[in-house]
Amino acid sequence: MDLTEFRRRLGAEPASQDAELRAARHAGPEFEAAAAAADRFEAVLRDAVEVPVPDGLVDELAALRPRRTRWHWPAALAASLLLAAGAAGLAWTLRPSWDSVEDYVVAHYRHDGPGLLERLGTAEPEDAQAMLAGFGLTAAPGLARIIGVIKVCPTPDGRGVHMVLNTETGPLTVIYMPNTPVTDHGKLAFDGLEAMLIDLPSGSAAVIGPEVDAYYAFVHDALRPLAGGS
Amino acid sequence: MGRERNARAARFDRLARAHGADLYRFAVWLCGHEALARDLVQETFLRAWKALEALRDDDAARSWLITILRREYARTFERKVPPLVDIDAVTVTETREPEPDRRTERELLRQAIAQLPPRYREPLLLQVVVGLSCAEIAGALQIGQSAVMTRLFRAREKLKAKLQRDGITGNIDGSY
Repeated sequence: MDLTEFRRRLGAEPASQDAELRAARHAGPEFEAAAAAADRFEAVLRDAVEVPVPDGLVDELAALRPRRTRWHWPAALAASLLLAAGAAGLAWTLRPSWDSVEDYVVAHYRHDGPGLLERLGTAEPEDAQAMLAGFGLTAAPGLARIIGVIKVCPTPDGRGVHMVLNTETGPLTVIYMPNTPVTDHGKLAFDGLEAMLIDLPSGSAAVIGPEVDAYYAFVHDALRPLAGGS
Repeated sequence: MGRERNARAARFDRLARAHGADLYRFAVWLCGHEALARDLVQETFLRAWKALEALRDDDAARSWLITILRREYARTFERKVPPLVDIDAVTVTETREPEPDRRTERELLRQAIAQLPPRYREPLLLQVVVGLSCAEIAGALQIGQSAVMTRLFRAREKLKAKLQRDGITGNIDGSY
């Protein structure tokens, strides 16, 4: 291996354990200098790309797996879910990633809800509409006007929308879940909050806040399929 | 059934703990935003759970997960997403405070990496951040191994040239 080839190999795979490359590191003063310079650069490069990993992230990822794939009442209770209504009509389409839609709502809200509340501001209605349009939705003006923050989020069937509304009674979280059947008006309580599930013409939503009953009709009517959308 | 389920869950747990942090680091560089990266990695592992049976060999898990993550990124974040929450560039909260020269050098290098064309930046990050081999990068990017090596070499050359243009020719002594 000549010096040019050695430099090329070092530039492509400096940490390679290839025997020929390792031997070439000691082939002469020029080789040793090239190897030392490459090692210095790699140290700086590794330092530059370093990104701190949030505490608890890996635990959260590991916990994404379900404890089981079917709905069982005792487990639901163990998860601190209090189903206040709609119990008789449980017809959740369970997804393998969560035991139920309720499990998803609680898990996702605990993961992302408080953080998004902290970012609450005033989103531009047209920006919010653009994001919703990506999901085949449009928001009635009364809803678009009070969206404080909005983002894409994981939901039982893939991507969905997580938004926080600035209502007269305080922040109200709405999670839109495409292709996720729910029991309409299904209600649950956790962490001092209430959540209500809403069956929409296209997908479903969960409304989360201190008091959610008053917003059922508002969200149900204001989150509409985009004209011409599927 | 219970034993199978437990084995599956244990396998997933191992994958998440072995690769979750590296995937997050790569995702931060990929989408330039820590919160989006967190969601992206979460979505990646949800997809991975659903498709876990498709992973035949856990030794190939890292590149398998990267493939899922890149696909999810393309599906979710590559299209135009309005900047409704403040989108930083790749600005990372520092937990260590190196000496000023080193800090400047690192910041310049970060900027230079972020400015690399994606065809150079992505294989470099897959190698340095995720630790993929050239063969694994070739598989993930669906290009030939020699093309990967060329891109990696050129990526480093571009970074070195950028640092030299900015007057930094080596952090310790000599040049790169």
